Amino acid sequence: MSCADPFHCVTCADEGVAMRVVAVDEERGLALCAAPGGERQSVEIALVGPVAPGDLLLVHAGTALAALDPTEAGA
Amino acid sequence: MKYVDEFRDAGIGRVLSGEILAAVEPGRHYKVMEVCGGHTHSIYKYGVDDLLPANVELVHGPGCPVCVIPMGRVDDGIALAHEPGAIFTCFGDMMRVPGSRGTLLEAKAEGADVRMVYSPLDALRIAKANPDRETIFFAIGFETTAPSTALTLMRAKAEGVKNFTVMCNHVTIVPPLRALLESPDLRLDGFIGPGHVSTVVGARPFAFIPAQYEKPCVIAGFEPLDILQAIHMILVQLAEGRCEVENQYTRVVPYEGNRKALEVMAEVFELRPHFEWRGLGFISQSGLKLSARYAELDAELRFSVPGVRVADPKACQCGEVLKGVIKPWECKVFGTACTPERPIGTCMVSSEGACAAYYNYGRFAREREVV
Repeated sequence: MSCADPFHCVTCADEGVAMRVVAVDEERGLALCAAPGGERQSVEIALVGPVAPGDLLLVHAGTALAALDPTEAGA
Repeated sequence: MKYVDEFRDAGIGRVLSGEILAAVEPGRHYKVMEVCGGHTHSIYKYGVDDLLPANVELVHGPGCPVCVIPMGRVDDGIALAHEPGAIFTCFGDMMRVPGSRGTLLEAKAEGADVRMVYSPLDALRIAKANPDRETIFFAIGFETTAPSTALTLMRAKAEGVKNFTVMCNHVTIVPPLRALLESPDLRLDGFIGPGHVSTVVGARPFAFIPAQYEKPCVIAGFEPLDILQAIHMILVQLAEGRCEVENQYTRVVPYEGNRKALEVMAEVFELRPHFEWRGLGFISQSGLKLSARYAELDAELRFSVPGVRVADPKACQCGEVLKGVIKPWECKVFGTACTPERPIGTCMVSSEGACAAYYNYGRFAREREVV
């Protein structure tokens, strides 16, 4: 997830990134998350329910918009 | 990888392709618009269009915020970047968008302190690390990025950060869709709805498409099978004489959207009476500005912004591309004077812009067709 990557747009018309929660800072409402490529980023978690390390989040511009629930991964 | 591999399965793709072929009426031409740039990008990256019958045409919509930003707003941003002592922050794609007198990247080369960030939160962090300087964030995007800007503004206000402001260019998706549906030069049969915008706003805002214009709208994910399935669902609706909003992307999009995200947006933003869209002109109530509660964090109020309207370059046909009236390669300057390295129009700047997607993926296929 790099701004220099010509095939990914952070401005994200509509392209979110699935990121894995590494650690949660509940006091500040932030979670340290890892992108598929391994890059880490602080993510706002105010818009999703309680999160725990290992959870997968849909992240847009540093904010988690939805928790991705593996049990609902239908086609 | 979970959520990815199962939606890129070539075998299932071929099955869906066959089902699409079975759903079309021979002799009828179908025009389906994918609203958002993320879909455009996926379609050309994975060659989704190659799996469609010749009479199913995909039309690219206005859903790339970088592509719809007018030159005047870029000029305003560059003017702010040149404010003495200011740190100007924006997403990477925005830095290469041409204004009437250059880009933010060129402003940086001239000495302005322009910095690329991944999120508004990064911009706030820069402001806190440089308390003696003003940090401005150039906010851009649809309802996917607007909640992020809203949360950062709430955080800045709560923490009492005085040297942080936002130049707000956020836009909303429904007004341009309505403008397109009212456009006399466009005949569409259905819409592939934006997946992640819908994560925030839900499916309800798109109900006017079937209710008032009698067109199907299927909200879709971004993997190739998501898009193929959504096209199939649209064609089935048409074959059965139905038109409604359906949600293909149920694994992410709840019908009601994300209520907390809508609440923070309502707290921080209010609608502008009108906002200019590149190629589409002024559209009523389509842009967001900071609400009175956040006026002290509004860059357009704290600094002097020229606010001059600039006409698009004559050679550039981004407007027609954004409305789906012409294909990118039909533009006079596509691939010659206008390339991703030296873009004239915004559609060639962002990787999600229709022209950049064609240039990066489709152009060579077209050359093969010609041969």
